[in-house]
Amino acid sequence: MPPSTCLRSLSQLSLDASTHRSIVPRLLHPRVACFSTSATHYAQAPKKKGTTAAPKKGVKSLNTKKGKQASGGDSGKRPAQGERKALRKRIVLSNNNALEVSSLKDLSKESAFSEQNEGQVMGLPEHVVDALRAVEAFKTTQGWSLFRRPAVLMRKEAIQVAKLFKEVEDSASGQQKKTLRRILSGERMSGKSTLLLQGLTIGFLRDWFVISLPEAQDIVNAHTDYAPLPKSEPMQYTQDTYTANLLQQILKSNGSFLESAKLITKPDLPLPLSAKATLKELVALGIANPEVSWPVFVALWNELSQPGRPPILLAVDGLSHMMGDSKYMSADVKPVHAYDLTIIRLFIDHLSGQKQLPNGGIVLGATSQSNAPTSPALDFCVGVAEAQQKTPDNVPQWNPYKKVDVRVMEALKDLNSEKSDFDVIKVGGLSKEEARAIMEYYAESGMLRHQINDRFVNEKWSLAGMGNIGELEKASVRLRL
Amino acid sequence: MSSRELSRSLWKAVDSLGSRSRPQCEWTTRRAQKSFPPSVARCISTTTARRADVTEGEIQEPFTAAPPIRFEADAEDGKKGDRSMLRTLRVVPASPSYFSAKPTFTDDFLALSALLRKVATLPVISPAEAPKVAWKTIFQYRIMTNEPVKTQRYHKMMHMVRRLNCINPSVVPEEVTQALLRYKKASQPGDIKPKPGVIDELGRAKGVGRRKTSSAVAWLVEGEGEVLVNGKSLSQFFGRLHHRESAVWALKATQRLDKYNVFVLVQGGGLTGQAEAMMLAVAKSLLVHEPALKPAVRRAGCVTRDPRKVERKKAGHVKARKMPTWVKR
Repeated sequence: MPPSTCLRSLSQLSLDASTHRSIVPRLLHPRVACFSTSATHYAQAPKKKGTTAAPKKGVKSLNTKKGKQASGGDSGKRPAQGERKALRKRIVLSNNNALEVSSLKDLSKESAFSEQNEGQVMGLPEHVVDALRAVEAFKTTQGWSLFRRPAVLMRKEAIQVAKLFKEVEDSASGQQKKTLRRILSGERMSGKSTLLLQGLTIGFLRDWFVISLPEAQDIVNAHTDYAPLPKSEPMQYTQDTYTANLLQQILKSNGSFLESAKLITKPDLPLPLSAKATLKELVALGIANPEVSWPVFVALWNELSQPGRPPILLAVDGLSHMMGDSKYMSADVKPVHAYDLTIIRLFIDHLSGQKQLPNGGIVLGATSQSNAPTSPALDFCVGVAEAQQKTPDNVPQWNPYKKVDVRVMEALKDLNSEKSDFDVIKVGGLSKEEARAIMEYYAESGMLRHQINDRFVNEKWSLAGMGNIGELEKASVRLRL
Repeated sequence: MSSRELSRSLWKAVDSLGSRSRPQCEWTTRRAQKSFPPSVARCISTTTARRADVTEGEIQEPFTAAPPIRFEADAEDGKKGDRSMLRTLRVVPASPSYFSAKPTFTDDFLALSALLRKVATLPVISPAEAPKVAWKTIFQYRIMTNEPVKTQRYHKMMHMVRRLNCINPSVVPEEVTQALLRYKKASQPGDIKPKPGVIDELGRAKGVGRRKTSSAVAWLVEGEGEVLVNGKSLSQFFGRLHHRESAVWALKATQRLDKYNVFVLVQGGGLTGQAEAMMLAVAKSLLVHEPALKPAVRRAGCVTRDPRKVERKKAGHVKARKMPTWVKR
């Protein structure tokens, strides 16, 4: 009597034959003795036809040399570590092929507030460009690389922002220093980030102290280290590396002020610092030792709060990233709310009006439409504020089925009250005159080869969705048909 | 037709026989007796008798019976007996082409040639300027006459009809108009005129357009080139510049983009369909404001609805046309 395994294999074989039609020829064609199936089991399946062609005559197919890559494989050099990211994040601010625009005037300290600039394209002076580059105000998605040198259109909203600066500076002489808070909102590619950049430009030109958080996403996405802040209740978290980097940006962009200003207070730091040190040395201490970067930042902030210091411009882009939970985890594995991160806490305290800037200043936040997590509270508050400006008798109501973030609602509640210095600047489309001005600039730069007449401007204005400046640039400069 | 001619002659014959017990003309009576009850028999047809399939009133020609023979009136002319009169009576078909294969067609052809000969000297206009008429197709003519008319013959006849149509409309005689009526289709191209669009009290003109499975309703008001699609701006709604351009193509091609504001409700289908449905809707509403732009808008290709749709899938196919892969066994 044959062993049972043998029988099982046989029955398996017949089963296989009945179920898998395609296997049948493979299994049955080699005429093996029926009682032994091991040969067929272990035999390799014949390769499919046509997958590899037979080697040509006279061609040596055997690769005998050691370490030599196959000729078909990728023999190209891999980019070095970080090279791809550097290429992706590279900011190009000039285009040698673009023409110099002779009529382009630079913004200056005096002309920054002038209303004659409205509807004109103004160049950015070199030192401001350096400072803006230091604070990462230029974005890769913006079209700076298309033109000879950076220039901005002083649109209606930009003049509005300039007026805010003027208002704060005018109030600086009096006792009551003003802190104005604004959120820039508008549809996609309408120039919110560029308007923020224009605000930073005016800040640099007027020698304000500018602190810019270039991208709120970088603060909350848990790519940098964090640590609990001792003696904080409820628990807050510092981000040492990020803060050190921020201090470096501050040092680069506000270097001249930091160099000239001396310490007034006596900061309580774990590292030694001479009493007569300049602020630059203080900041350098924070950059060199990331573990004390937050105490250094607090000390710097205290210094700036002393009377006689310049007004402060606090700016952030991508506001909705900080209106919710961050990607960081607390010790009991709960997500940390973005407001519990110290840098964001500082910004939100001033944005919500809980704290005032002692020497006056402006808090600017730009929303984003392309890279924004859903934040119903922010959307609602901004929507209500926009409606109050436009149609005060038709204001949206909160949808009770949406999940509300109470802390965000609390922080932004000033936005909906009538009498406060917290408001929304709606960045809409350009007017036709502004569109004409910017298109003439495009044409003078040689990037738009078309006669700029009313018809052409109107057509592009309409196709760009009623003067959306990003779409206008895309349609007239980037997309050449 | 031939049967009708026949029956007309038969009626004549039967009437002439009157109440006579013994028929004089045996041939006629035989025919008459045969054809009376069914009244559909055709004399020169070897096939079984059949009616025309289409029995619509407008296609079938009206049937007129032959007038009765009044024996009394005829008898007073000096003839003494009916018998002698009957001897001279001969059944004659109404048309000389009665014994041809296609008598009605032959009649029509001859009538038209006679008419053309008559009016040949009238001034003509070029065929391009002649009034646009939809003539009956050969199939419709065949159904009307119930005769197997050959295509070439029919076209020869239609050649004459078209020549008659080219007579200068200011001098065209009434008989030509009446004669041509027989060859026109029941409904002519310009007959159904859409209601002219109106501009409502708010200055809006409405237009509806469709493409693929999308449909769009556009309202056009005088303005400065603002476009709203479902409450969004053009650039928010259409990401591709191509779609934006095709959505307002009617305005762009006629250089009216900065003269009007548009707001559109569009639904169904994808972005291309929606953009092109919008193109049609905007064009139609533009034509309400400025009807004289129609040729320009047509040249821009915004007047005709694109009838193409997704072809349906067929049984036995993988898709509409794709067949399953051929397998040897």
